[in-house]
Amino acid sequence: MAQKNIFTWTSLGFLCVFIVAMSFGAYYYTEYIKYQQLYSKTLKELQKYDRYVFVNILIDYGNSTKEWHNNTLIVRGADLLNATRIVSEVNYTRGTYGAFVTHINFVGGDPNTYWLWYSWNSTSSNWDFGPVACDAHILSEGETVAWIYTKF
Amino acid sequence: MYSKMKCSTIKLGFIGVMTALCVSSNYLLIGVLNVKFMDLFVFVSGYVMGSFAGALVGVLTWLVYGTLNPYGFNLPTLIATCIGESLYGIVAGVLPKFESNVSSATSAVVVEKRFWKTNLKIGTIGFLLTFVYDLFTNIVTGTVFEIPLVPYIITGIPFTITHEMSNFFFFFFGCNVLINAIQKIGILRR
Repeated sequence: MAQKNIFTWTSLGFLCVFIVAMSFGAYYYTEYIKYQQLYSKTLKELQKYDRYVFVNILIDYGNSTKEWHNNTLIVRGADLLNATRIVSEVNYTRGTYGAFVTHINFVGGDPNTYWLWYSWNSTSSNWDFGPVACDAHILSEGETVAWIYTKF
Repeated sequence: MYSKMKCSTIKLGFIGVMTALCVSSNYLLIGVLNVKFMDLFVFVSGYVMGSFAGALVGVLTWLVYGTLNPYGFNLPTLIATCIGESLYGIVAGVLPKFESNVSSATSAVVVEKRFWKTNLKIGTIGFLLTFVYDLFTNIVTGTVFEIPLVPYIITGIPFTITHEMSNFFFFFFGCNVLINAIQKIGILRR
């Protein structure tokens, strides 16, 4: 009789533990399903932005004044000139090798001082001099470029 | 006949006192969701004075607390909570017949070595009663407000677990002690 009593109470105890465990399991399973659905929905929303990329643009005026335009959203395939025109006022001329920037945000035109562009090389941790005209360089996803007003 | 009436008056007085205790503790703990001493007091009432008294304490408590409630009033939910709460009193009333280890109305002193074992049994009973109560009231509320039952019950799990665990601890630590304290008064008979 005593053994039957112990068995009964032990079973009730395990039933309580089972109820708690099942409750937690059911609750966290539904939370998992909910966040999985939210994640899928977010991915679908993000696909709308597949046509766009984020780039970082630095404008160094040469007098310690620097402007960072991080996470600038540009159309995939856009060149550096158009990207710069999104974040600043740009004046340029067309030459034999492409566009030549003369002013950025009304800064420019000083004797022997020109706007040069550079691209950040993450491997060497250095700025690489822009090899082509700014309108010939197509920006890639996450690229960091800099315009530096350089005096020669 | 006079002794019968005396018992009846005492019973009524006890029901009134326990109902007042339940209602006041409910309002004191209104800011703490699903943590209430009411279930413990209803259970103790049923154990000490019988199923009818216990059920009556539960119903009367909810008639006051469920009507004058800052969270709102809903008749079907009130009926469900009255029925659910009376379950504590009814089960407590029949418990002494089946369990000799739990303090009975005839023995005022609990054997010390069985004290924690008894508490664990009462805690388990409290947990299971709370589970049934929560399930029943959630089903009724979900049906009344036309909410899909399974998602509604699952969403309420954190509150249910809080209610069940708090009642387990209240029943574990408080029930046996309260029953003993009330029985030592000596004038209360089932």
